[in-house]
Amino acid sequence: MDQLRLLFVDDEEELVSAVIERLELRGIEGVGATSGGEALHHLREGSFDVVVLDIKMPGIGGLEVLRTINRRHPEVKVILMTGHGSAEDNEIGRRLGAIAYLEKPVDLEDLLTIVDQAVNGKAGGPDGR
Amino acid sequence: MGDDHRQPLQREGVLFFGDVIAGLSHELSNVFNIINEIAGLQQDIVGGAQPESADAADRLSELAGRIKAQVERGETFNQTLHTLAHSVDDANIAFDLSDTLELAGWLAARPARLARVELTVHRPDQPLTMEGDPFALLLTIYGSIGAVVNAADSERRVEVNAAPHDRGTRVFITSADPLPPESVDEIPGLETGHLAWGAVHTLDPPPPGASRRVILDLPAVAPALKAMVDEEG
Repeated sequence: MDQLRLLFVDDEEELVSAVIERLELRGIEGVGATSGGEALHHLREGSFDVVVLDIKMPGIGGLEVLRTINRRHPEVKVILMTGHGSAEDNEIGRRLGAIAYLEKPVDLEDLLTIVDQAVNGKAGGPDGR
Repeated sequence: MGDDHRQPLQREGVLFFGDVIAGLSHELSNVFNIINEIAGLQQDIVGGAQPESADAADRLSELAGRIKAQVERGETFNQTLHTLAHSVDDANIAFDLSDTLELAGWLAARPARLARVELTVHRPDQPLTMEGDPFALLLTIYGSIGAVVNAADSERRVEVNAAPHDRGTRVFITSADPLPPESVDEIPGLETGHLAWGAVHTLDPPPPGASRRVILDLPAVAPALKAMVDEEG
């Protein structure tokens, strides 16, 4: 996954910085964003293989970002994360084409397994398995 | 103390507890998630994912500092939960309104952040001693802050102040954006605040003009409590 570019989006800056550093230690080019608006800006400016999106964020939420990605960047794979998941969000995310829906805390190795499957054409189910 | 505010208080209280505890639970989860990720990063460093690093000890020390900061943040949420839990202990007590304002501000911080509103609660310079049901007042103030936060649009700043007024206290919840006069009647906690405290919400300026402030007039002693004391002679 040397060339993989991953955009990690969560409104907790400390979480984003730790995840990005861990991705870089694994040779993955990670870019962090702490809002939906910042995520969309990064998507306009660069290309990404995978976006990992928190659902609940101030301003533009994860599901709204996912809708925009579907319109403007349909080639990008999206994984949704949530702190306290709801069946409704899961269903909406699935219908919108998210390849996985993960509950926090997300194990990085599990996340990378899903990412690997996605970029190699073996996308996991909506529950991340 | 009179029971006429108990029924709406119980109904609104349950809704309030559900709302704020869900928010605090989210905040605590955020803290745990961050600690989990930083611990993972420490494992990566110790485990040699960064073998060429000569300053691993410095990095680990810096990461330990970040964990401590998150633990302190989590403890603040925990203290807020503890204070909230005890806010229902006594419906007939003397207390400092400043503490109630501070607690309402803590509880409203997350909904304000999600609404991208900067909420500032100014602790009064002097104690504002009140007598009555602090939880009923907390409901009213929290609901009032929420209504103004939800109406904030242009500058996205809300400030809360309180000062002695007449023989009671005035709470000011100020925003650059107008709160529609009709929305005052829909403030959660208003009915309880009125019944328990004789609380009066007004807009500044009063209707029909749009408002920049919600003013909450409160007596120093809740009317129901005062009536009971008067009756006992």
